[in-house]
Amino acid sequence: MLEDTDLREETALDVPWVTLVWNDPVNLMSYVSYVFRSYFGFSRAEADKRMLLVHNEGRAVVASGSREEMERHVKAMHDFGLWATLQKEDA
Amino acid sequence: MIPFERDDNGQLVASLTEPESALLSSLAAQVADMLDELGSAPYIADPDAAALYESVGIGGSTTLHDDPAVARLLPNAYADDLDASRDFRGLTERSLAARKIANARAVVDSLDIARGAGGELRLDAALVQSWMRTLVDIRLTIAARLGFTQDEYPGDGGGDDSDGIDSDRLDDDGDGNDSDDAAYDAAHEPAGDESLVMRDVYDWLGWVSESLMEAIE
Repeated sequence: MLEDTDLREETALDVPWVTLVWNDPVNLMSYVSYVFRSYFGFSRAEADKRMLLVHNEGRAVVASGSREEMERHVKAMHDFGLWATLQKEDA
Repeated sequence: MIPFERDDNGQLVASLTEPESALLSSLAAQVADMLDELGSAPYIADPDAAALYESVGIGGSTTLHDDPAVARLLPNAYADDLDASRDFRGLTERSLAARKIANARAVVDSLDIARGAGGELRLDAALVQSWMRTLVDIRLTIAARLGFTQDEYPGDGGGDDSDGIDSDRLDDDGDGNDSDDAAYDAAHEPAGDESLVMRDVYDWLGWVSESLMEAIE
């Protein structure tokens, strides 16, 4: 168990992770933009840009960093009812 | 309903009719109950261990739930790694569900107060967050029941009736228990009055959400 934890920390240091928000048929564009501004501190222009990426491309990267940090973001997005996942940046 | 407006004290104020209030209260309570029932499932056999895990908010289930509504409210955290999703879910699912339940119950309580005040609903900053999130959770639940497809995004105020529904999967008995899609599709009529009512409710909830967002901005 301890070994797993160590391995995981090493991985987190070596490879950046990203948080993705995925398109869904329910959440309002105004709400998604609000969440991006209020939680990530994006400007309105930046928030709208990423919200439109979600809408048009099906998903957008909203954060990158350590695995633990991305897990916190994903949890927060799930609190807001957004569909978010994390993965390694190059995956 | 008179839409949300910000008053001089910074609170958001709206006015609801009795049927609107009763509808919202019932939907919020249903979401809370749906999530609450998950917590009563015996995930951990040893009661002492279960109580301990529960007290720190861990001990959730290990896989995505069969009910599409629950699966959407408590989604996988990793798109491409089931093991990591399972571990994450075990650590976080109960606390996520508990926060959603608390938000939904705060909405119910605020509606009780509103009904005692002639329908005037007042939301402070904390209640605004509970309302915003619960409206989303209710709409996600209805969308899952109605079988909305993942790739559509009628996110412009809820007035778009032309898309968002895969009519093969409309849930006309309201139980949402459609984990076995083939059997489910065969056993259900593609459309019914209840689904049309649900669609109207869904659109109205979108309008309420939009009103809340406009008042916040």
